[in-house]
Amino acid sequence: MMTLMQAAAPLLVLALTVTAMLAALAIRRSFAVTIGIAATGLILATISIPWALAARANPFPSLFNLTPDALGFAGLILLAGLATLILATLYLTRDLPLPREEYPLLLVLATLGAFAMATSAGFITLFLGLETMTIAMIGMIAYPRDRPEAEEAALKYLVLSGMSSAIVLFGIGLAALATGHLTFAPLLAAGPNPIILTALALIGAGAGFKLSVVPFHIWVPDIYAGAPAPSAAYVAVIPKIAVIAVILHLLAMPGSTVSPILASAVGIVAMLSMLVGNLLALMQENLKRVLGYSSIAHLGYLLIALLAAGRIGRAGVIFYIVTYAITVIGAFGVIGVLSRAGSARDADQIDDLRGLFWHRPLLATIMTLILLSLAGIPPAIGFIAKLYIMAAGVSADLRVLTATLVLSSVIGLFYYLRIILVMALKPADRAEAPASVIAIPITGWLTMAGLGALILGFGIAPQSLMTLLHAVFK
Amino acid sequence: MSFPILSLMIWLPLIGAALMFIPQGSDAASARNARWIALWTSLIVLILAAITLVDFNPGIHGFQFTETAAWIPQFHIAYRLGLDGISLFFVALSALLTPIAILASWRETRRVRDYMAAFLLLETMTIGMFSALDFLMFYIFFEAVLIPMYLIIGVWGGERRIHAAIKFFIFTLAGSLPMLLALVWMWHHAGTTDMITLMHTPIPPHIQDWLFIAFLASFGVKAAVWPLHTWLPDAYGEAPLPGTIMLAAVLSKMGAYGFLRFSLPMLPQASAYFAPLMFALGIMGVIYISFAALAQTDMKRMIAYSSVAHMGLIIVGIFTFTVIGIEGALFQMVSHGLVIAALFLCVGILLARGHSLRLDQLGGLATRMPVFAAFLMFFVMANVGLPGTSGFVGEILVMIGAIQINFWVAFLTGTGMILSVMYMLVMVRRVLFDHARSIANAVMSDLSAKEWLMLAPLAILVLGLGFIPSGLTTAFHTAVTDLVHAHVAAMSPLSHLAMAKP
Repeated sequence: MMTLMQAAAPLLVLALTVTAMLAALAIRRSFAVTIGIAATGLILATISIPWALAARANPFPSLFNLTPDALGFAGLILLAGLATLILATLYLTRDLPLPREEYPLLLVLATLGAFAMATSAGFITLFLGLETMTIAMIGMIAYPRDRPEAEEAALKYLVLSGMSSAIVLFGIGLAALATGHLTFAPLLAAGPNPIILTALALIGAGAGFKLSVVPFHIWVPDIYAGAPAPSAAYVAVIPKIAVIAVILHLLAMPGSTVSPILASAVGIVAMLSMLVGNLLALMQENLKRVLGYSSIAHLGYLLIALLAAGRIGRAGVIFYIVTYAITVIGAFGVIGVLSRAGSARDADQIDDLRGLFWHRPLLATIMTLILLSLAGIPPAIGFIAKLYIMAAGVSADLRVLTATLVLSSVIGLFYYLRIILVMALKPADRAEAPASVIAIPITGWLTMAGLGALILGFGIAPQSLMTLLHAVFK
Repeated sequence: MSFPILSLMIWLPLIGAALMFIPQGSDAASARNARWIALWTSLIVLILAAITLVDFNPGIHGFQFTETAAWIPQFHIAYRLGLDGISLFFVALSALLTPIAILASWRETRRVRDYMAAFLLLETMTIGMFSALDFLMFYIFFEAVLIPMYLIIGVWGGERRIHAAIKFFIFTLAGSLPMLLALVWMWHHAGTTDMITLMHTPIPPHIQDWLFIAFLASFGVKAAVWPLHTWLPDAYGEAPLPGTIMLAAVLSKMGAYGFLRFSLPMLPQASAYFAPLMFALGIMGVIYISFAALAQTDMKRMIAYSSVAHMGLIIVGIFTFTVIGIEGALFQMVSHGLVIAALFLCVGILLARGHSLRLDQLGGLATRMPVFAAFLMFFVMANVGLPGTSGFVGEILVMIGAIQINFWVAFLTGTGMILSVMYMLVMVRRVLFDHARSIANAVMSDLSAKEWLMLAPLAILVLGLGFIPSGLTTAFHTAVTDLVHAHVAAMSPLSHLAMAKP
């Protein structure tokens, strides 16, 4: 029995965690207990990943794809979930006039959905995972429900993601109609007939929505800005890892080819995402909106490596998504440790960071590293990630895309640099500036310092991360 | 492997900067300790640099003091360091000017610890860049230099510092991103980023042209080649004075060094093809910028423009592809580094006494501050190339190199140099000799001991190199000869044939 379930162990641990949390909530409401169960569950699931990697047999071959690659992405999802859980624990302080216990539950539930999605072997699991994740995330976005902007963001996300789910579902239906199956392989094996192409286009649009690439990006800034910081970090990172995992799985399947039309469509999407993301970020005064537009641009960069395919392209995609996860969680983490769910708004205006170098030099240094990483400047890890994308682009001879990458990176510099200088400005006289009065608990410092150390450490010694990724993703 | 002296020189300032952040009670204590840590660290690096100068064997071909360690073996990227005759003096120049810049900022009172740490960080980056033998390492140091410099301008700069800092960062980084693309292409082509391997890897000529343009974008901005110089007057003008010294004396050399280290040996055909363009840009720089300098009303800006004009001369020297021209350019780079640093120090001395830098408000200092006036006059003369100073040797060598290639190139460059005499003398007349104007709160005391300590070594070096230029030229003669021979070999028709069929 143990060996039979070995490969599925992390998934089972996660499912059990959700059940345990529900049971604990039914007995007695305690924030500490729910957080404890959630953290233990996520940690146990992460620890069981190496054990699951060693498994020989897959207990649910028709539902889940438990290959090392999929489990690797699942591990990344778990770690990212854990990081956002820590941020959420700090963020949801006692002064929030609402029960706080459901937030960890929603977070673990969303992680379970993302896990299922990343390891899905067919459309059924894919769709169920997608919906579990999305619905739980809507709850996370709307959590501080007395903030009007959080409610508005959740409603927008509900409507738009409902629509994108419907589109995906329609695509899945068409695929099933054409092939008679709900698994991935027959769809790839079938020739280019109109129904299959339509199905692929519809499913692709759904993926584009979750990846937040142009032209499916309209929701991003509003929802990032309205959501509380830890939820924004979650929405910005975890669905994207899951979608990338599915795409890489599909691309790695035998018989999968990227037709030239599809490739040029993705190329145009990538180019527009890079330019639109970076250009619109220039005009923002809200840090979460900046991060929203910047994430659009970053996914555009990532699509270059995805298009380049080949060994270096694949490694580039994986390296980039890891970098993206660390950096973006770090960026929202800085907003998160300076804000509290109980206050009327998050400290998410660029002006809120004014003088951060003066009253919190360590946090400002970490934020500088994060911004350098987002801008792709050494010695931060973002530089190595961008180098990977360039190497993939050059070796696949994607000239126009690589040139656009360079051009849009220059545009990106403007807004990242401005934030660094705002932090170095003399603090304003406002004594009540939230960034200067909020006490940051030691766990907050440890998390932020840990993320900063990863950004700098992997930037200086990328070899360590490459070896790790190489060991997991063969 | 022998004693890792280069690694020590690179990382010691970083360790020094880290030491400053150990909490030490009061702000005053931490500021005082930061000053002394910065000074001592940079002095130790200077001693180490002196050891490399003494130990360096000018007869050996190739690189010395080499160090290699694994870094990213999957991509054949390694931690490679080494010095040859070309890079030796740039490392020494960085090591010499950092303690001088730190001494010049002794009176800085705003956030002293961060300020000193930024200067030490800058030293790490510049020495690392000049001694890197791996292209990716070079690139990382090349870009990382921007971070401390950006903060130095943006935090401790003048009134319009934010504008100047962002302009500086974006110009230089926008320039170096094409180089990153070129780097990735070369890595893809040669399978490694080892610079020595890259120098011996032939590249098809039509690709070389693109790579050359990418390098020009990056090195041209850094060296402030006309018309890529527009960031420079703002950055030089707004940076705090010690920052301007590092920018003008060390950072501007990074671009010229890049041309020598990358463009010439790795892209010989393209370098030859684009040489007329480079001459044109260099000459435009010398002449146009000299006129711009004449129009300046601010002493600091006038010296800044003079610095750009000299970079034009250096570019002309490099692209003559003659031993004498390149040696002239190298000599000029070292000399210009010393002289421009001294001139900016003189500006700083006036600033410290509360003088305005506007030329129409200065005057008559020759009688009030005679020692200062003598030093300023001496360095101005060195800047315009008076025989007996190091400036003369560099200029004459470049001119000899240029005249071997093309009379008009030499003629126009020479014209530019005459213009430089004009504007420098205008400046001297205004500052030192015009009748004294109403100087409100300015102190008129002559040089202090600390100021002597900063200016005298520079003056001795400038004079010494002017009288004994062979001290410098023998050290880089082997490296430059090898460079020129390799270039000639690559340009011979036989190798052209070999290149045609890959």
